[in-house]
Amino acid sequence: MTRLRTPLALGIIALFVLLALLAPVIAPYDPFQGGQDALKPPLSPGHLLGTNHIGQDILSQLLHGARVSLAVGVSAALSAALIGALVGSLAGFFGGWVDGVLMRVSEFFQVLPRFVLALVIVAFFGSGTLKLIVVLALLSWPQTARLARAQILSLREATFVDAGRLSGMKPLQLITREILPNALAPVVIAGSLDIASAILLEASLSFFGLGDPNTVSWGFMLNFAQAYLRQAWWMALFPGMAISIVVLTFNILGDALNDALNPRLRETV
Amino acid sequence: MKKLTRRTFLKVSAGGAAAAGLAACTPAAPAAPAATAAPAAATAVPAGPARGGTAVIVMDSDPDTLNLGVTSNYSSGDVGAKLYNGLIWVDTNFGIKPSLAESWTISPDAKVYTFKLRQGVTWHDGKPFTSADAVYTFQEILGKFHPRSQALVKRMKSIEAPDANTLVITLVDPYAPLLLQLNVFEAPMLPKHLFDGQGDVLKNPAGLKPIGTGPYKFVEWTKGASVKLARYENYWEKGKPYLDNLVFPIIPQAANRGTALETGEADFLASFYLPLTDVERLSKSDKLNQKRGIAFPAIYFMMMNNATPALAKKEARQAIAFAVDRARIITQANAGIGRIGRGPFGDGFKWLLDPAVDYSKMYPRDVAKAKSLLDAAGVAAAADGTRAKLRLVVDSARAPFVTAAQIIKENLKEIGIEVEVQAVERAVMTQKVYTDRDYDLTLQSFVSSGDPAIGYHRLYVTTTTRVASTNATGYSNTVVDGLFAKAAVTPDQGARAALYVEAQKILADEMPTLVLYDDDTVNFASKKLAGVFGAIDVRDRWEDVSLTK
Amino acid sequence: MWRYILKRLAQALPVVLGVIVFNFTLIQLAPGDPVTLLVGDYPATEEYTRQVRADFGLDQPVPVRLARYLEQLARGNLGFSFANRMPVGELIAQRFGPTLMLMLTALGLAILIGIPLGVIAARNRGRLSDWVAQVGALAGYSTPDFWMGQLLILIFAVALGWLPSQGMRSARSVATGMQATLEVFPYLILPAFALGFRYIALLSRITRSAMLDALSADSVMGARAKGLSERRVLIAHVLRNAALPIVTVIGYNLGLLIAGSALIETVFSWPGVGRLLFDSISKRDYPVMTAILMMVSITVVIANLITDLVYAALDPRVRYAR
Repeated sequence: MTRLRTPLALGIIALFVLLALLAPVIAPYDPFQGGQDALKPPLSPGHLLGTNHIGQDILSQLLHGARVSLAVGVSAALSAALIGALVGSLAGFFGGWVDGVLMRVSEFFQVLPRFVLALVIVAFFGSGTLKLIVVLALLSWPQTARLARAQILSLREATFVDAGRLSGMKPLQLITREILPNALAPVVIAGSLDIASAILLEASLSFFGLGDPNTVSWGFMLNFAQAYLRQAWWMALFPGMAISIVVLTFNILGDALNDALNPRLRETV
Repeated sequence: MKKLTRRTFLKVSAGGAAAAGLAACTPAAPAAPAATAAPAAATAVPAGPARGGTAVIVMDSDPDTLNLGVTSNYSSGDVGAKLYNGLIWVDTNFGIKPSLAESWTISPDAKVYTFKLRQGVTWHDGKPFTSADAVYTFQEILGKFHPRSQALVKRMKSIEAPDANTLVITLVDPYAPLLLQLNVFEAPMLPKHLFDGQGDVLKNPAGLKPIGTGPYKFVEWTKGASVKLARYENYWEKGKPYLDNLVFPIIPQAANRGTALETGEADFLASFYLPLTDVERLSKSDKLNQKRGIAFPAIYFMMMNNATPALAKKEARQAIAFAVDRARIITQANAGIGRIGRGPFGDGFKWLLDPAVDYSKMYPRDVAKAKSLLDAAGVAAAADGTRAKLRLVVDSARAPFVTAAQIIKENLKEIGIEVEVQAVERAVMTQKVYTDRDYDLTLQSFVSSGDPAIGYHRLYVTTTTRVASTNATGYSNTVVDGLFAKAAVTPDQGARAALYVEAQKILADEMPTLVLYDDDTVNFASKKLAGVFGAIDVRDRWEDVSLTK
Repeated sequence: MWRYILKRLAQALPVVLGVIVFNFTLIQLAPGDPVTLLVGDYPATEEYTRQVRADFGLDQPVPVRLARYLEQLARGNLGFSFANRMPVGELIAQRFGPTLMLMLTALGLAILIGIPLGVIAARNRGRLSDWVAQVGALAGYSTPDFWMGQLLILIFAVALGWLPSQGMRSARSVATGMQATLEVFPYLILPAFALGFRYIALLSRITRSAMLDALSADSVMGARAKGLSERRVLIAHVLRNAALPIVTVIGYNLGLLIAGSALIETVFSWPGVGRLLFDSISKRDYPVMTAILMMVSITVVIANLITDLVYAALDPRVRYAR
């Protein structure tokens, strides 16, 4: 079972990515196209998963929503990983005030939960997909940076680094050629988990009505579904399931990577 | 879902003639000859309603404060109307009835109002209510801190108390809506002895532990959970109120409010707090009574910024009127509640309607016509078919507006206008629309407050100040301004109607703002409650409410 | 130890100060004027608007407000909420109880359910039950809690009618004291589950992996070699060693629970601090917002400190070193 995890997770992710990419082609309707056929239950003619309160096709919205969720999750996590790895390795390598500043900044992010910060920032400055990515990336990098820093600290004194130093490599070369590749494992794992949490965060913000109404996102679908919970359960059920499945898949992937790359880090979730 | 506005809502007007026959009381017009209201006619109920029991009234959020003299917050008014009294109250036909003022006379020049105050009225702490309280309330509290009444008090030259039971208000100029505006929501009487010399009025503890003269006294306010009141045994209307307790649970989640009513957990749900999506389901309940349409008229509309190049020509704005599917907005965004916008003033005031002003004939949904009008306006299509990109700003907390925006986006796409919906928080919306006018289209609503001169002129009149809840379109037409100014001082309703019809014809043609629909309030009460819906404002007059077994 | 505690708290001060400054910076940058929300929805006169602004000190530039705020804070005054028109301290005190109740119940559920699940999974490592438990835990961890809350309402309140869907007690209740506290219980179940769900999942995962680590430790081998019963090995050695990471995770998540409760409190109309935070943000009620963010950060600091102390108590090898 365990051996099947990684291919299974990758397979599901690939499927979602494929569905997201092909959404314009395979979605039966324009996700914004509503009409008089409002609140039709699943399995209605022409609407496999039903329609919402303004007659938009749930299936088409789900497919297009995958684009937003994946784009937000992956871009935010990727940017966070890049910034975090860079800052973390600089801090770990040079120590001193660079390290001090980093540690203070990351402490700040530790005591104020990401969701709260995101809530405040998005409520104040409005949301758009790009803004959301930036906010999520800004809120996620310190974690990665701490991980990278810890890894670098333990690697700094490793023998192969010493060898590099003796052979006259410059600090930057040392970082990029010797240390970073070795410190990458925890960053990749954190990145995979970051995707999951970014998708969840986007959904939570949209649920609070802070999503971008110009895109179809799963969280935004849930926001509308709230008022129709009693009349149209399908408006809430499908996007909620989609979020759970995608987040679950990325978490499983993170888990599998964790076991494969770094058995010692097992307890960091 | 909240209607009209999220935080503050003034249901009872700044006065004025309402559709239902207060024609003589138009603003600035001399009032009818010195009128004396009859003392509270104790309409004797044969057997007398049952006494006792607790009624549960749903609210959506904590009141701002329970000092009703410094707020126009809807929830504050909900609780406050039971804690305090005004000098008068307003019945369902817009009739002005005596409350703390037993009777009054108006001087022939309509400037001096002499009120005879009720005797034997006590505050909940036992102290007597006198004219000194009234004078203090007007001068030191309402005149300084009430969002709307401070403007009213400015119209008063003097407020005097010749004796303990007489109050004389002298106006600078005649102002007929005065009486209407002395209701509990805009002029609640407050105890001088708790405020005088007690420092900052806004921070006075009476805002948290209020003392009034109303039928119910304060018991407890658990923030975020509930407010509790109990019968005031020494209420001046003997034998009332009938209920032992009132409880106002705070239920922020809209869907939960309807459920609370269905399960019997709550007894009363006012239109203001009612999620429209629940109306259909609640209507089917055999445990609930439903009351529609008691309230002052209110309209929901889309302002169009004339400063936006694509909207500068009236043909372009007309095109939008042809394109927007207003019937669908009512059905899908508003759960079918509302009357389709008939013209620039809606259809709430029957006396100023005219066959010549009717959107349904002037602007039936017609995509082809809309496109040709855009061509005429010079809003031409680019290679990809896009004619213009417009930003539609809405308050993100108003779910029906966010949904309506989706529908409008879809409608306008058909005529080549790409809409970017900006759902922002109310504070940001106000700044974008009214202060910065950094918008193209926006969904808003205004309440008439009983007269177009009070509530609707502000939507179309030339406006240069950047104040919230005014005309933010930049539309300016001196002819319309002139017609409005004249209508405001014309006493005769027929003559006023003619002026308004003329103005509406111009406005319907130039289309600075597209009226989407008229408010149609729906309130629900448990069938066990008797005597509710006695006043124009469903929050008022709960002293007559009783529980049947 | 006291020196260590004091030192840790002193270190936290700049962070809390940072939270306040961050807040005021955001307020400075944020669009939207709170005064427009205070003057009602009828065109307000300029004079009135100006007066309201002055009454709440909003006419001052933000740096001045920050200085005043810090000055008041030093005297233990959290400021005055202009949206609620009452002192912030009082307001938060009223709303903190319900949040604490919800949080502790959720945490209790997580411990009572999550840890045994983890133990069972670890003991059945590699078997189907382990695999099911693991995927189940991950699924729980991956489900949006507000959505879970909605499902719980749909199933247990609407469809089955077993539990109330919202609030903290019946509006008609006249109970006081102990009776009133007991009445909260049925209202607490659904929100506590919705909030605790993720933590049940989290704890069972942590417990499982900590157990596996501990099971392979030398001391356990030794104990087994000595012929101790499996049950005693499990309790005396394995659980004891596994306790460290479990405590860590509980501690580090305690502070975050306050934030997480904002969504759950909204879904269930629970009168707590989380919802107050959300309201204060949309009303631009800066004093309340600042105070809650500060409170969250202090809670996290203290929770972390307590965690470290417990950690040290459980494992004498850990010294108060930093």
